[in-house]
Amino acid sequence: MTVPTRVLGWLATLGLAAGLVVAFGVAPREVTQGNVQRIMYVHVPAVWVAYLAFTVVFAASVAHLWTRSPAADRVAAASTEVGVVFLGINIVTGSIWGKPTWGTWWTWDARLTSVTVVFLMYLGYLMLRRMTDDPERGARYAAVLGTLAAPSIYLVHTSVYWWRTLHQPPSLLKAGSATMPAVFWMAILVNFAALGLLAAYFVLRRMDLLRREQEALA
Amino acid sequence: MPDNWGYVLAAYGVAVVVLTAYWRSLVRRDRALSALGDRRARPAGTGQRQAAAPADRRPGPGARSRTT
Repeated sequence: MTVPTRVLGWLATLGLAAGLVVAFGVAPREVTQGNVQRIMYVHVPAVWVAYLAFTVVFAASVAHLWTRSPAADRVAAASTEVGVVFLGINIVTGSIWGKPTWGTWWTWDARLTSVTVVFLMYLGYLMLRRMTDDPERGARYAAVLGTLAAPSIYLVHTSVYWWRTLHQPPSLLKAGSATMPAVFWMAILVNFAALGLLAAYFVLRRMDLLRREQEALA
Repeated sequence: MPDNWGYVLAAYGVAVVVLTAYWRSLVRRDRALSALGDRRARPAGTGQRQAAAPADRRPGPGARSRTT
């Protein structure tokens, strides 16, 4: 593991500690939802990190299709894996939040359905890589999927505007000013920074492992 | 609305478990690759030693009796 990766890991650890302090020590109890609203400090940052990871997948997939660069393929593969982990956390924490707030663990509304489809698409990306015997062909197929899957992220974000859903519209990623007090969105941003650092650390480590795996197979 | 601390702990617990499990899987793969590298390096070294050994071996009395 390189020194920058190690430093990133320690920064992520400090960030996560700060995120927990802000989520449980600084942010007040929300009046309407009570303490269950604190789940939003992991639920929302997790999906933002997943969005970012899948955007990187798109850019790296296009770069791989254009240049056939193995490094671009490693960036795409590592980012997909990390994006799937964070999107999984987003789905599960959302379900846990939904039970006391909506009265149900799950409902097939537009946001939940579209996010599940995106999760399955990127899970399919990882399966496709492993199912193909020829690694170069697998990387090419995965790059095509990584490129085609990208618009679905936009679909997830806009699903709450396009269809009548139980899921509320965005509170922060929207046009105009934020509708929540500063302390709440500050808690979300601190946790987003922490999870972002952690995701970057994971991606760098996974890229290094992929490079060594490819060298071992060569 | 009740505080529902159980749900809050469950959500954060799931996040911690998933992230820790993923980090551990990376560490495990790292160790496996390092071990593979060590295993590949070792037989090459022993192979050289084995190849050198017969040259050092002097002909024994049996060899002499076979030639005579």
